[in-house]
Amino acid sequence: MNAWDELVARCAARRNEKIGPLSDDAYAELVLAVRQSPADFADEPGERALLVVARALDGYRASLTRDDLLDDESFERERARRHSALAAECERAVSIDPDCLDARLIALLASEPDPDPLLTALLELERAHAKEALPEGDAWEDVFCRPRLRLRAAVARTCLDGARFRMAASAAASLTDATPDDPLGARHTHMLACARLEDEAGLGALDARFSGRESAWSHLARVLLLYKLDRLTAARRALRGFDSLCAGGAYALLRPVLTEPYLPDRPDVAPCGFEEAVMAVREAEPIIADVPEFIAWCQEQEWLVASAQAFAERNDLDW
Amino acid sequence: MAHDSRREDYLRMSLRFALSLDEGDPSRAAREFASFTRRLARDRDSLPQSDADRAFHLVSLATELVDYRLPFAGDALADSLTARGLALLEEALSLDPNCHDAVRMSFSLKTPSAEARWRFLVEREESVRLSCESTRDQLCAELDETRAALAENVSMRPWWRWLADMAECALICGRNRAAIDAAERLLAAEPSDLSDVRRTLVYALAKLEDEDGVARLAAETGDAWSLLASLALAHKRCDFAEARRQVERLLAAYPGCAPVLMRQIEIPDGRFARIRVPARGEDELILAVSEGVVLLQEGAERSGKGVLGAWLARTVSELAGEKDDEGASRS
Repeated sequence: MNAWDELVARCAARRNEKIGPLSDDAYAELVLAVRQSPADFADEPGERALLVVARALDGYRASLTRDDLLDDESFERERARRHSALAAECERAVSIDPDCLDARLIALLASEPDPDPLLTALLELERAHAKEALPEGDAWEDVFCRPRLRLRAAVARTCLDGARFRMAASAAASLTDATPDDPLGARHTHMLACARLEDEAGLGALDARFSGRESAWSHLARVLLLYKLDRLTAARRALRGFDSLCAGGAYALLRPVLTEPYLPDRPDVAPCGFEEAVMAVREAEPIIADVPEFIAWCQEQEWLVASAQAFAERNDLDW
Repeated sequence: MAHDSRREDYLRMSLRFALSLDEGDPSRAAREFASFTRRLARDRDSLPQSDADRAFHLVSLATELVDYRLPFAGDALADSLTARGLALLEEALSLDPNCHDAVRMSFSLKTPSAEARWRFLVEREESVRLSCESTRDQLCAELDETRAALAENVSMRPWWRWLADMAECALICGRNRAAIDAAERLLAAEPSDLSDVRRTLVYALAKLEDEDGVARLAAETGDAWSLLASLALAHKRCDFAEARRQVERLLAAYPGCAPVLMRQIEIPDGRFARIRVPARGEDELILAVSEGVVLLQEGAERSGKGVLGAWLARTVSELAGEKDDEGASRS
């Protein structure tokens, strides 16, 4: 989530409503002015709350880079401190604007509940704060809709985490319907759900619809689907694809690491890069655990292990 | 229904005996048959039998050891039971290399990996079917119509068990379509479902969240497996009220079995076939829950019980608590 960009867009839109409508040029001027100093333009509760969230997210993200030298115990302490600091700021944002959905969503996700209570809370948020229908056309274009879209994406991911695959697929599909360009990557969740449900036609349709935008998720989903369907030659080919097209994919698969929760959505990373592979493996974890001998089969592929090891050596990672 | 190796041993021997009787003298045949059961119990070797019959008898002895005694044995005894079971199965194979049950059970006992077992079963399934069919055709040619029907049924059972085992292995491996495929082929070949493969089928359908498929089987069987599958689906679609009703239905069908649903222990699957237990008894629920771990233990839940497993344990304990409260307020 780029909270600052959204804050600028929202403040400019509000100002335009009050003093406008402005010409395109004048509007561009206004956007520049807001960008210079968003705080001066955030005068409605919604924007003032978002300003708090934007600053809190900056602080949270900056603190993430300081972990490398900590031992396990201090790491856990630091992590808990970081999450509670973020949650406290989000509570402050909610006290400014009770309808600040992003603040509520981030606070909820930062407390890292199990999938069942998390899903219940997310659905409750949807009922309380996201009742109105989405606008016609691409809902992402309306910056005021984006918090609801992020909430829906979190619902879809939480369903996947909680082994509710049809619900995950339908929540994800509702997002790709509302935002055809899928900026939140709901298709990734949908693809993993198709793999787990052994729905080859469903995964094929998504691949076709988003062709040219392959990702660590699409490659991994294909491997899992074919493995589950017991088409091992094809699965091996797909695994080769995952390995050769996703940097460090083999390493991410064979050496999964603890990752931070998405607050509130996936961080922006390069398509098919290592960070993306790590996220895809983390999200697929419940599905991988459900095919108990999948990782053993991956480890039997010597080229995959060699590739993972080479990646580890090149990047100075543990092996 | 369930496969019963001792009963099947008896059926095989009685068919063999029937083959040896002189059809020209019905009254003598009837007299001879009257003595059959006694001779089978006391002097088995005096009865006519083929090497295949002898081999199956050994399979039946091995089944008693590895399916019915092993799960309750301590570690020390467990090793010796397994070794004795394997020795019986080896002996069976030396008598009859086509003793498919012995092949399957002995591979299963030696192979902890469900994936390896699955592969083994898939690769040989076709030849097992052909072999059973050829035994059936030979036997049926020699028997009268009534006995031929029984002979046909008994000859095909090793293949049925093979397919049922395949379905269960596929389910454990997370290959739900393959499990459904094996189960449906078995049901097409043997609609009366001696193997109770519909129990495996309903779990595979639940894994794919196939609401219609689960509802159809639940209406047919109504057993613990279908109740647990329906419960899982209600929970998956967040219909907690319905999921709770299904828990109550399970508790009503298996009175006093709340601890089974809370503990959710896993027991080894029978090697010969799903083990025989009294219908509607505690052991039946233990089996259903044990096979149901594929549904219970899914999802990223921290306790390790799985999302549904944790919910089920909590709900059962709440329901049991409510019952206790009612009992306390009445007394």
